[in-house]
Amino acid sequence: MKKNQIKLYFTCLLMVAGLVSCTDLEIEESDSIISEGFQGLADPSSTVNQLYNRLNGQYGDQGNLFALSEVTTDAAIVPTRGTDWGDNGQWSSLHQHLWTPEHVFVINVWNDWNANQLIASQVLDARSNPSSVNIGEASFIRALSMWVILDNYGQVPFRDTLLPSSSLPEVLTGEAAVAFIIADLDTAISNLPNIAAGSGAANGRAGKAAARYLKAKVLLNKHVYLGTSPDSGDMNAVVSLVDEISNEGYALQSGYFNIFRDTADNETIWSLAAGVGNRIFNGLHYNSTSLGGGGWNGFATLSEYYDLFEGDPNFNRVELDETPLDMQEERRGGVPSAGLPFTGRPGTTDLNGFEAGSNVGNGFLVNQQYALDGTPLQDRAGAPLTFKRDFKDGTGANNIINNDETTGIRVMKYAPRFGEFLSHEIFFRYADAHLMKAEALMRGGGDPTTLVNTLRVIRGAAPILGVVTESDVLAERGRELFAEIWRRNDLIRFGQYTRDWEFKAAGSIGNDKYKLFPIPSSQLLANPALVQNPGY
Amino acid sequence: MKIKLLKSMLLLGAMLSFGLIQAQSVSGTVIDNNGIPLPGANVIVQGTTNGAQTDFDGNYSLNNVASDAILVISYIGYDTQEIPVNGQSTINVTLQEGNVLNEVVVIGYGTTTVKDATGSVTAVSSEDFNGGNIASPEQLIQGKSAGVNIQQTSGEPGAGISINIRGSNSVRANNNPLFVVDGVPLSGDSTAPSGDSGIGGTAVRNPLNFINPNDIASISILKDASATAIYGSRGANGVVIITTKTGRTGSKAGTFEFSTNLSIATPAEEYDLLEKDQFLSAVTLFGGNASSVDYGANTNWQDFITRTTASTNNNLSYKMNYGDGNIRATFGYSNQFGVVEKSDLERITGRINARHRFLDGDLNVGLSATVSRVNDQSAPLSASAGFRGDILGASYAANPTWPTDPDFTDGSAQILPANLLAYSDNRTKTNRFLVNGFAEYKFTDELTGKINLGYDTSDGENVSVLSADLLNFTGISGTGFGVYNTLDRESSLLEATLNYKKDFENSKLDILAGYSFQDFESSGRNAAGRGFTTTNLGFMARDLRNSVNNAANSITGSYQQFYYGTNTADLIVNRLFSPMGVIAGDTSALDFDRSVNAISADTFDSTDELQSFFGRVNYSIAGKYLFTGTVRADGSSRFGPDNAYSVFPSGAFAWQMGEEDFIGENVSTLKLRLSAGITGNQSGLGYGNFVARQRFSGIGIGNDGVINPNGLQIVATDVPDLKWESTLNLNVGVDFGFNNDRLNGSLDVYQNTTTDVLLRTPPAAPAVDPFQFGNVDAKILNQGIEFALGYDWVQSDDVTFTTSFNIAYNENEVQDFASSINTGEINGQGLSGAFAQRFEAGYSLYSYYMAEFAGLDSSGQPTYVDQNGDGVGDVFTDKVFVGEDALPDITTGLALNLSVKNWDFGAFFSGQFGFSIYNNTRNGFFTSGSITNARNVTTDLISSGEAAGTSADVSTRYLEKGDFVRFQNMNIGYNVPLSGEGAFKTMRLSVTGQNLFLITDYSGLDPEVTVATGDLGSGVPTRGIDWAAFPNPRTITIGINASF
Repeated sequence: MKKNQIKLYFTCLLMVAGLVSCTDLEIEESDSIISEGFQGLADPSSTVNQLYNRLNGQYGDQGNLFALSEVTTDAAIVPTRGTDWGDNGQWSSLHQHLWTPEHVFVINVWNDWNANQLIASQVLDARSNPSSVNIGEASFIRALSMWVILDNYGQVPFRDTLLPSSSLPEVLTGEAAVAFIIADLDTAISNLPNIAAGSGAANGRAGKAAARYLKAKVLLNKHVYLGTSPDSGDMNAVVSLVDEISNEGYALQSGYFNIFRDTADNETIWSLAAGVGNRIFNGLHYNSTSLGGGGWNGFATLSEYYDLFEGDPNFNRVELDETPLDMQEERRGGVPSAGLPFTGRPGTTDLNGFEAGSNVGNGFLVNQQYALDGTPLQDRAGAPLTFKRDFKDGTGANNIINNDETTGIRVMKYAPRFGEFLSHEIFFRYADAHLMKAEALMRGGGDPTTLVNTLRVIRGAAPILGVVTESDVLAERGRELFAEIWRRNDLIRFGQYTRDWEFKAAGSIGNDKYKLFPIPSSQLLANPALVQNPGY
Repeated sequence: MKIKLLKSMLLLGAMLSFGLIQAQSVSGTVIDNNGIPLPGANVIVQGTTNGAQTDFDGNYSLNNVASDAILVISYIGYDTQEIPVNGQSTINVTLQEGNVLNEVVVIGYGTTTVKDATGSVTAVSSEDFNGGNIASPEQLIQGKSAGVNIQQTSGEPGAGISINIRGSNSVRANNNPLFVVDGVPLSGDSTAPSGDSGIGGTAVRNPLNFINPNDIASISILKDASATAIYGSRGANGVVIITTKTGRTGSKAGTFEFSTNLSIATPAEEYDLLEKDQFLSAVTLFGGNASSVDYGANTNWQDFITRTTASTNNNLSYKMNYGDGNIRATFGYSNQFGVVEKSDLERITGRINARHRFLDGDLNVGLSATVSRVNDQSAPLSASAGFRGDILGASYAANPTWPTDPDFTDGSAQILPANLLAYSDNRTKTNRFLVNGFAEYKFTDELTGKINLGYDTSDGENVSVLSADLLNFTGISGTGFGVYNTLDRESSLLEATLNYKKDFENSKLDILAGYSFQDFESSGRNAAGRGFTTTNLGFMARDLRNSVNNAANSITGSYQQFYYGTNTADLIVNRLFSPMGVIAGDTSALDFDRSVNAISADTFDSTDELQSFFGRVNYSIAGKYLFTGTVRADGSSRFGPDNAYSVFPSGAFAWQMGEEDFIGENVSTLKLRLSAGITGNQSGLGYGNFVARQRFSGIGIGNDGVINPNGLQIVATDVPDLKWESTLNLNVGVDFGFNNDRLNGSLDVYQNTTTDVLLRTPPAAPAVDPFQFGNVDAKILNQGIEFALGYDWVQSDDVTFTTSFNIAYNENEVQDFASSINTGEINGQGLSGAFAQRFEAGYSLYSYYMAEFAGLDSSGQPTYVDQNGDGVGDVFTDKVFVGEDALPDITTGLALNLSVKNWDFGAFFSGQFGFSIYNNTRNGFFTSGSITNARNVTTDLISSGEAAGTSADVSTRYLEKGDFVRFQNMNIGYNVPLSGEGAFKTMRLSVTGQNLFLITDYSGLDPEVTVATGDLGSGVPTRGIDWAAFPNPRTITIGINASF
């Protein structure tokens, strides 16, 4: 081979190598479906499934929305117990009303529920070709998500999926925000199917009743968002929406704690496949049960909330057949003196002849706790495991920090004996709708007494004598709906959210700033249309 | 026609260069100062590419040498010599050993000498490498270069590394420099799949694990833009060029070299924990009931979980130089055991390096191939372990009265170390094959073309299982859980370069132009299973693999995911790219062999591409004035079409003042270097962040084996404006040498300014992802000074004694950032959501932000400084920047080398100053709250005055100075004097000690630590947080090295 030839070949090789390998640097669709900007979802039905999965996680969590709704009220407190539950102050600042725009739950709820809105909008985008049911469910979830943001932050950023992703969302407040949500709910009501009461698992998807319930909830609270007094038209609408739900067969049902099992009942309007574990373990002591690795010994309630219920202030015991021993009404539940003998009913497990977890009891756990075999339980330091009404630190003073393991009454809505990892939590319940109707009647100038007492009788509580007042309605809601994330919303609507309760910071009492959570700081930079809520 | 033209031009060029000057032949022998022939020395006609290598007898011959030419003879480790031909036909050369400044240095796409380099480059050749038990290449150069901070992030074998050249320029996960192995830039990503079973995961593996350190000839570190800009987009964090050994120094008959060593490692430090009796009395002291927590045994859990290990490393190599070419082949086997139980790394490597010259040396062809297999075993360790800790943390906290029976439980919810160790297993296997070949052709003496092809492929598999016997783990206890992940990576490289070198009267020109294309494919599958029929860990792993693989094989067509749960009657398949488009919840019969109750699997497959055009001009006048200009245009598929390309230029000037007449004779070297340039960065950004992408979201298996149908979701929102992050680098340096360079050194001052910082920040809500990559309006400034000094104290025939010292100061600051980001997550009991650092303008990266501890009050409760003026010092509301950060201000290294006849001694010290460590281990475990809950603590807690059950929130109470000096390495070697007549040609015996002692005030195990505790979602990496870090070992290695 001549040198020149080789030179030539090598030159060609160099050039060819350069030319052949030149690339336009386009990424290929091997991993995911790629589009320049949002162009519609390829399968909106599955995205709706994903929205439900998101709600399961967001609702089932003991932090985030649950904490913002319960721990910021008189219904829940998470004191520091030794090193436990300090957690960067995220619990104490909620109960004391000292949170800042940096609070992790304030940021998470903002992010999570706004994201739900956007995903729902993506389903609703015409380019996704959603079915009628898709439109119904996505409209419902978008309304729910926007309402959660409105209720907690007072302003809702809305992103139009037809605009480029770099465009800034518009911000809805007051009338405009409520109108947007109501319009979505009307779309939902017309597109969603009727799901019969008592359908069990099928009540895990939103039907017309769930959309009507939410619409009633939004209308009942509307005056709060508008800063006005209740509108009688809205109140009438609430009443008729609840009546429509009732007409579908949803109704009050006796057997309070059985409603929170995963069996079918007429009260459940909408439930989620959210794990009940967080609700069970967040308050239980480490030694309360061996199920699920034991409790986390955090959440408790204030004695003043416990005292809303009838019964002995210091004891809350039940017979092994759950008959109250301390004059308490059914909803306060009680602590059994031993575990229940194993009954073999579905969803329960046998632990040496006992129904696992049945020693824990229901409702409000106070004073001595017992093991399955009836032995009085001890705390980790070897002292009797008695849940105390008060929160005392090492010096004996009432304090939200430096508590020991036993302070505070614990709250148990989902009993561990029904399965500590059951994926079934009720979000919308007819008893709430029933009380909303009573409240709407009252706010419209009517008398809620009959309605409230109907519920009380079913719950085995004495009817209220005389005319049921506004504070009676609030107290009834507190008793009926404890740990169902409505407490903050109720207290605000009844004007009680800024009142004093144990451990609330002095400077926060009567401070309206805390009626809304702050907008996360990074969001104010990202979207100048957002305005920080007053006082932050 | 074009080709014909080109051909004519090339011919013309050739005629011009050959024809005009009278040419002759030159031959000769190159020997060292001991008279021993040097095979493989380079002999080059100055200003041309006409050159040859000496054969095994040190002989060379060159044709076409102009009678007035100058020969340049160079050899790594020896002074380069320049000898005028002056018509001689025989030129014999004696090279003098070891003048650093004349050493050949490998730089990007070529070589230079330290003398001619315009940029800031440090080269370390094999004789200067750190010795001992070296698991991966970067350990060879730890502390050897000023401003290069190499941190072994843990003592775990094969764990990831953190290398910061001149501070931290970016704030993303992969802040390491670019590694180039024999011309092939590596992707920098770990090839081992992660194996996080929820309890313990495989820590990020070192991407260089596949290279046998024994195969490395030299490592060059390119620090400033003048040196790194040739790598453009990938040079922002510096470049580390690894050159492997070739057979150049082999003999014709071939030489075998064998080395073997044995390393004994023990944990260098341990915590002073309470023993049984101390523990029980402490429980009583802090208000507990000792008898209720006494389980009778007396166990030292720290000893239980750690161990003394013996590791081996064996290498056999063969090298041969047959004149026209050479070959080197090696086989390496090492088995390294970590000082924590169940952690080891076995590596088998083979490597071939072959070179051949055709056509009288006009065509040079080379081929290198490495094949490796790495088998890892990991203990259940987790950098982001929750309040119970991982296996290490749980051992520190474990009640010393617990027995070591793996089935023992005290009924509490703590992690039982014996139980967790016995009932978990985590193994990774990674195969990797890296091959590259080049052909270099000399068109003329001035013009050379080169094509370099590289192919890098790896496949890895991790199986991590936790048996049903594991106690206190929800969803695992009584059920069993496992993950089975695979990862395949493939990268191809094509590079073509043209090099033109020309000498003028008193100036030299060297032009390089090139093209480069590289793609990186990453694919694999992450699978999980819950509900096993066996508790045998080996059988569980087998069942999981079989069930997943059988399920995968039963599916026809392409798919993204599949799963079955206790609530599904079919195998559910989610397809993205079926012929009918997206199919969610497609069903397939469950008719394959399976033994796990619920399985989920999710696949991924993405490819990134880089394409570049680059050029460099070196021009020197009179050997005194050196100019370098570099430009590289880089395109990346990680950016949209409008922003794909960016141009990264640099320029440098160096002045050899030492050559000027006005500088005295005793100044042997004095060189001033100036450079400025821009480099880019896109690493850590990830695939397809500029477009909208949708795929099926992850699948969760419920604790009861139930799987809810999942759905298609937008996983990336388009960010069309996404563009390159860029760093402007300015460097001024001086190299100096006195008294024939007996005293030599360099001083560099630099400033790096990173702009368009690629960072995950919150987009305006509503957004699908709460964090999104964007170019944030912020600057990251790194500026500093580096100083290196070497002195040859004694230079005699029998004794030499040299020292070299380096020290670097770096200052970091975030500027012009409107927001702030909390980062540096702190884990532990009562520390959910806690953090210790904040990213904010005006402060260094990794600046600590927390309450200031003001001591314990009379009742033993912690108090804090009131910062907000409300009269109350509150640990949560009175947080401030406390003036400390996790980046060392000063890093330094000192090496001493003594040789006496056949003996040699080396000692190496390293130190870091001006940084703080957050002792998360102490905050999370060693508090009165722990002992109140019957968890073990260190002895100093008892006398600390802390009241029982006080809260332990993040504050300066647990922030400590990290300053340290480490006696990192000491070795003694003996070269056995051999006649050369026997079987062995050379033999060397050595003893090396690593991490022999540590001087520090830090109360934890080791201040040189980084545990990735979490970033609260921002993606900002963690630094300086010690959360039950893997203990660093102290290692003694004995080795033997022989050639025959």
